[in-house]
Amino acid sequence: MPSNNSPLLSPELLAKLERLELVTRKIFRGRLKGERRSRRKGQSIEFADFRSYVPGDDLRLLDWNLYARLEKLIIKLFLEEEDLHFYALIDASRSMDFGDPTKLRYAKQLAAALGYIGLVRADRVKIETLGTNNAVSPVLRGRRSLWRMLEVLDAIEPGDQVPLAESVKRFCLRNSGRGIVLLITDLMDKDGYEPALRYLVAQRLDVYVVQVLSKEEIDPDIVGDLKLVDSEDDDTAEITVSAPLLARYKKTLAALTSGAQEFCSRRGMNYLLANNQIPVEDLVSLYLRKRGLVR
Amino acid sequence: MELFSGYLRNMLSWWQWSLLALVPPAIILLYFLKLRRTPLEVPSTYLWQKSIEDLHVNSIWQRLRRNLLLLLQLLLVLLAMIALLRPGWSGTRLSGDRFIFLIDQSASMSATDVRPTRLDEAKRRTHELVDAMPAGSRAMIISFADRAQVAQEFTDNRSLLHERVDAIRPTARGTNLRDALELSAGLANPGRTANEPGDAPVAAAQPADVYIFSDGRFPSVEGFSLGNLSPIYIPIGDAQTGNVAVTAFNTRPLESQPDKLQAFARVANFGPEPAEVDVELLAGDQLIDASRISIEPGGEQGVAYDLGEAEQGALRLEIKSHAAPSGDALAADDVAFAVVNPQRKIRVLIVTAENPSLVWALSTARASDLADVEIAEPEILNSGQYKTAAAQGTYDLVIYDRCRPEEMPQANTVFIGQLPPGPDWGGDKEAKKVAAPQIIDVERSHPLFQLIDLGNVAIGESVILAPPPGGTVLIDSSRGPICAIAPRQAFEDVVIGFEIVGTDKEGQRYANTNWHMRASFPTFWFSLISYLGGEADGTQSSSVRPGQPVRLAARSESGQLTVVSPDGKQTKISRGTEGRYQFHDTDALGVYELRDKEKTTGRLAVNLFDPSESNIKTQPDKAIQIGHVDVPGQTTWEGTRRELWKWLLLSALVVLLLEWYIYNRRVYL
Repeated sequence: MPSNNSPLLSPELLAKLERLELVTRKIFRGRLKGERRSRRKGQSIEFADFRSYVPGDDLRLLDWNLYARLEKLIIKLFLEEEDLHFYALIDASRSMDFGDPTKLRYAKQLAAALGYIGLVRADRVKIETLGTNNAVSPVLRGRRSLWRMLEVLDAIEPGDQVPLAESVKRFCLRNSGRGIVLLITDLMDKDGYEPALRYLVAQRLDVYVVQVLSKEEIDPDIVGDLKLVDSEDDDTAEITVSAPLLARYKKTLAALTSGAQEFCSRRGMNYLLANNQIPVEDLVSLYLRKRGLVR
Repeated sequence: MELFSGYLRNMLSWWQWSLLALVPPAIILLYFLKLRRTPLEVPSTYLWQKSIEDLHVNSIWQRLRRNLLLLLQLLLVLLAMIALLRPGWSGTRLSGDRFIFLIDQSASMSATDVRPTRLDEAKRRTHELVDAMPAGSRAMIISFADRAQVAQEFTDNRSLLHERVDAIRPTARGTNLRDALELSAGLANPGRTANEPGDAPVAAAQPADVYIFSDGRFPSVEGFSLGNLSPIYIPIGDAQTGNVAVTAFNTRPLESQPDKLQAFARVANFGPEPAEVDVELLAGDQLIDASRISIEPGGEQGVAYDLGEAEQGALRLEIKSHAAPSGDALAADDVAFAVVNPQRKIRVLIVTAENPSLVWALSTARASDLADVEIAEPEILNSGQYKTAAAQGTYDLVIYDRCRPEEMPQANTVFIGQLPPGPDWGGDKEAKKVAAPQIIDVERSHPLFQLIDLGNVAIGESVILAPPPGGTVLIDSSRGPICAIAPRQAFEDVVIGFEIVGTDKEGQRYANTNWHMRASFPTFWFSLISYLGGEADGTQSSSVRPGQPVRLAARSESGQLTVVSPDGKQTKISRGTEGRYQFHDTDALGVYELRDKEKTTGRLAVNLFDPSESNIKTQPDKAIQIGHVDVPGQTTWEGTRRELWKWLLLSALVVLLLEWYIYNRRVYL
């Protein structure tokens, strides 16, 4: 069981992650040149096509050898390689601060792993925290930024309760770029998760929703007469644990997860339920790979 | 109540029960006090709230479910309470296939210290055991008092066994276990006569369990070998039971005034505490006298009442005990009866030619008080009147002086100088006469010669006697026996070999002996009358123990007597072969009337008068001794009751474990 104090990414995991790459099914226009082959023509070493010169073209692209032979100004086109925008949205509400490891830490690990993949592939990685009003997080790029990314992740603390929809909306307003959004949350919002996800859909982002649940939530190990106190709004629920109650709870949970799954798949989003007992490397290398986020 | 006593037994008093009844409310109270829900912080109550909303629909079930532990605790207490009631039903399965139930029906078993009576308790337990018998096993029922009686031979028919157990009635008799054991042993130890090595047993031994239901008021059975019998003694009764009993009640003439009667009684207290007793003497229903006495525990006191002129009839003595908290559990010995029968004189017939000294000896004042003496000539022996009287037993004693009848009469006889007819004494042959026998020895231990000295008696000539078997030589002479006594049926014959007055050939009387001039002569005849005539007085005033056969010396012309029992039952009895009336049916206590053709000729009192039966304190922890085996009393009766309390406690334990498990292992309904 990984402890909450160990490094987010172990060296072995890092080595494994280096072989992976973030994939998107949608074509996005990166701002900077990256390692990603784009459908756009551009500057790279890979030849794509020729075309006639039109005024305004970069003279540097003229194929002088052809001009010598044909006396025509022909421009040599190369394939453009682009970077990918990768946003990791971590729900840092207090409800995430449960479990062993805490769901928040699990979310951080997941974000770190995928962020690292992005960094290695020279993608544009941005870690955003939901629920806290902290400053805009930096945009990271390149392998060297790993430590900054980890710093940013480490700095995330469970914060005040902000509705999921509110924070997602804020994110969308701030980041108009397209790319991959990895929303790591427990979806435990009493107002419902749907508005939040709709904002993301509207951004035409490639959205991955990872619902992190702790073992205690999936299979509660409680007994007796209890007064359950909500960690976020101090709401209480008095229960006496009994088999039907537990069965009913599990049913409700299943309804929640399957509802989210359906909601996402209808809108072209990817949904993944993550148990905090599954190691992050397994989640990345097995589950997310299957879903096509990495390859 | 029947159900309660049958299936449940209360082990606690009411205040213990009320304490126990407080436990379940206390548990519920504690449960509600405890029901302060533990706060637990969870990530979100979102899902829980939704789940609870769904479940509110069947909330009653929920309430029950959530109280599972409470319910289990209540169940635990309930089981413990039921266990305290000791539910159960009769009978563990008995092991073995042969059972003998010995049920004591003696007088002490009528004691009421065990409700309703000890005998009923014994019967109830026997019923339980019969029900508990394994299928196919056989049982025998023997009821015993002073005699044992097989109430039912070995059978596996249980309804028959139940029926026979119910048919056992209390008696007023004593207790004798040996009889019952011998009856039981008959089947169990068949090889008793074939115990020599090499002898094949007559039949296979059939071991049996012998259940003895008794209060243990009987002496040890000495010299009895149980063999294949395994005795189980079940004492019935209370060790602290008190009883005040009349142990003796009789009437007798006053020493100073023989025509006046005095009644005396002894009253004993067998209880553990002093008893104060009212003693009432009644004639019929009329109170004659009463007194109050107090008796120490274990003590005995006599009371005496002067009755004045003796009137024939029956007397009843009743005791009513006061201030004896342990009570008077046995009623049979609280009443005693005595009868005053008409004074009946002994009828003596002297058949003699002429014997003044004999007649004189039998007409002393004391002798004539005792007896009516008739004197007759020997010719009477041939008359029909004599023959009828002799055959009917009209006389108690017939003295034949130098003569003999053709047939022996139904009476005691004395023969002087003649042998009785018949071969017993050799009377069918010529008697051998010897001259001048010297008296050597006199049987002083016999009542007839207890105070007689014959040292200075000389005898002329005498017949030498050869008494029949069973006879006793009373006077032995140098020539042989000259006086002897021998039994004949119910009677006794005394033969004196020598004549007192002889007749010579000329018909002259002469004295054959000088005995008639000695002081011992009238003494001897008085002893003779009181001894040979005395048996007639058997029912004068003495009491008969219940169950004892009694010989009635009453006379009846018709040879038939009617005996009216205290309960009004009339029994006709005929004169037996021995010339006496035998009456056996003396089981009931009280006064029996003897009637001869509707005329009451006498009475007979039957009383318990048995200290060992009146002392009804059971000693449950004392073993009874049978031969060399001590059979301890089974003081606990659980053995034959199938008890549930062990299982209840066990299930309570299981419930406790279940509760613990549920509490710890989080098992949910």
